Order: sequence, then C-alpha cells, then structure tokens
Amino acid sequence: MLLHILNRSPLSSLVYRQAIATMGTEDRLLLIEDGVQGALPTLVRHFEALEGRLFALREDLVARGLAGKCDASVQVVDVDGFVELTEEAERTVSWY
Amino acid sequence: MRYAILLLGGPYSAQAAHSALRFARAVLARGHRLEGVFFYHDGVQNAARLMAPPQDEPHLVDGWVGLNAEQGVPLMVCIAAALRRGLMDEREATRHGKQGHSVEAPFELTGLGQLVDLGLGCDRLVTFGP
Amino acid sequence: MTDVPPYHGDLLVILRHGPHGSSLLREGLDAALVAAAFGRDVSLLFMGEGISALVRDQQVGPLGQKGTAATLQMLEMYDIDRLLVDGEGLAGLGLAPRDLMLPVEVLDSSAMAVQPKVHRLVLTF
Repeated sequence: MLLHILNRSPLSSLVYRQAIATMGTEDRLLLIEDGVQGALPTLVRHFEALEGRLFALREDLVARGLAGKCDASVQVVDVDGFVELTEEAERTVSWY
Repeated sequence: MRYAILLLGGPYSAQAAHSALRFARAVLARGHRLEGVFFYHDGVQNAARLMAPPQDEPHLVDGWVGLNAEQGVPLMVCIAAALRRGLMDEREATRHGKQGHSVEAPFELTGLGQLVDLGLGCDRLVTFGP
Repeated sequence: MTDVPPYHGDLLVILRHGPHGSSLLREGLDAALVAAAFGRDVSLLFMGEGISALVRDQQVGPLGQKGTAATLQMLEMYDIDRLLVDGEGLAGLGLAPRDLMLPVEVLDSSAMAVQPKVHRLVLTF
C-alpha cells in the first residue's frame, strides 16, 4: 500500500487525475494544503473511486475554516496521523 | 524508522516549507529518525541566510536551524539549483568572485547524488511540492 | 506488506511538466541522470504536459535558454532506457509514438497504476 499526497484543489488543477491514475486498488490519498478543498461534499465526487481511502489533513482544514465541512466519507487526520499514514505505507508519492 | 524530506517549495511563496517543517517535528516526536532534509528546485531558497520575515510570522531559517541544532538533522541544499538562484556559501562566493555569501552552516551545499542516497537509503522519503 | 512486487527499478521519476515553462522538467531529469550515473536503475514516466518533453524539433528559447531536448538525447548514454508514457496523455496531445524523439513504452491505465509500486523510490517533478 502506498500513500499519495495531493496539495492542489480539484478547482485549480487536474493533477488529482494523474494521482488517481497511478494509484493501486489499496493505495490511499491524503489531501493537504489547498488540496483539502477536495474533501468538501461538492468536490469529493472527483475522488469517488477512492471510497474509504481518502484522507484530509486537519490543520489545513482548520486554517482554511473548512473543519466540520468535510464530506462524511473523508477521514480527517492531524499531522501525527499524517506521519502514521506514512508509517503504514511502503512509500509515498507527492502530487503538486 | 528512518525518514527523509525533499522540499521543492520556496519560502513564503508556497505552503510547502511550513508543511515540511511541521511534518519534520511530528516525525521526530513519534520517535523516528530524520536522516536529512534535501532542498531542491525553489526549495533551495529556504537556505537564504538573509531571510528577514516580519516578527509575527514563523522564521523558516530559524526553524530549519533549530531542527539541526536539536536533533542533528542534516540540511542539504542542491548546489546546482542554489547557484542558479544566487544562493552560495562563502567558499562558492570566493570561487565565483562574489562579494558576500547567502548560505551558511548548518546548511550545506551538496550534489544530487546525496538526494539519491538519502531517498534510497531511508525507509520513507516524503516530498513537499511547490 | 503481504505481497512484495517484483521491482522494475530503484527509482521512478515522474515528469509532469513541459520544457521551457518551468525548471521542474530539467531538475527532474538531472535527478534521474545523477541517479543513473551512481549506478541506480532508473525509469522515467512522462505524464500529461510532461509528454511534450519528447516532441521532436525542439529549439533553444529566444534568449538561448537550453530547454531539455539535449538532455533527453543523453539518456541512452546513462543507460536510462525505460521511458514510459501515459497512453491517455499521449492521445490527449494528439500525438503518437512516431512523433516522439525517443522510443517509448506506451502504458494503458492498468500499467500506469502499478508503476509507483514496482520502484523503490518515486520522485515527481
């Protein structure tokens, strides 16, 4: 299992499609920085192929006033959880 | 586990440096080793000695230097990417006939071979993009 | 961690940016060349805009900016011969392998999804 990390909103960049295209069926995606916008209920459909494997970084949600506005399917983790996700993954791939 | 960080984002123009610094501290807090931070692309500007942000903003150079002082984390800056962007230590400044220098210890100018060794030698490399 | 896939190489460099517009392509290629020079087994994966790096007849920029075409010609010398191209991205540019300056392996979507898994380290540029 690999951890992919995305820092762009689906509203500003199509790089999320490239991330998804290189993901295996077990791989996870963590949204950070501007990427956390993708966790909103109106945008999360772009990640529907990843049901149960989509995460968002709490600190970046809070900083943007988006905490509590995430879709229920998104698992919110803090930076400690970010490290934990990297521990569990064999390696990480970053998309920006 | 042995971690490494690759930072590609410039200071204050992208969130990358703040994200990387916060991640670095969390890695260490969980008892892992951080084998090094490698600065490449616009990330090399994080090593700018003369960085002077307003006092109410986080000082990134101080953050990196603190990481090195407290935990001995090597701060490696790609020399080719740095020289192109006007970042050089005293030795390189002399070599290029420049007055003054813009990089100092604990940041070290080094080659991309270090990035390859770091990335393949550690358990986890995490990239923070611009 | 149950199944360890057979590795295709040490390093996968994913190139997503075109020539001239930013330094990311050049800096990604530099990392690949150095890794190869250190004896590492390197694959390149061109995606999206990055595929345009392989288009023929590239020139230097108007101020003499070098671009990356000359670097790509050196890949063979460094024994980097696994050049992978996203098939969907290639079609998106209206290009076929014959339009490219180097021989490439065009990947379908299932082959794309295994590339990060079969390399020990992945760097994206």
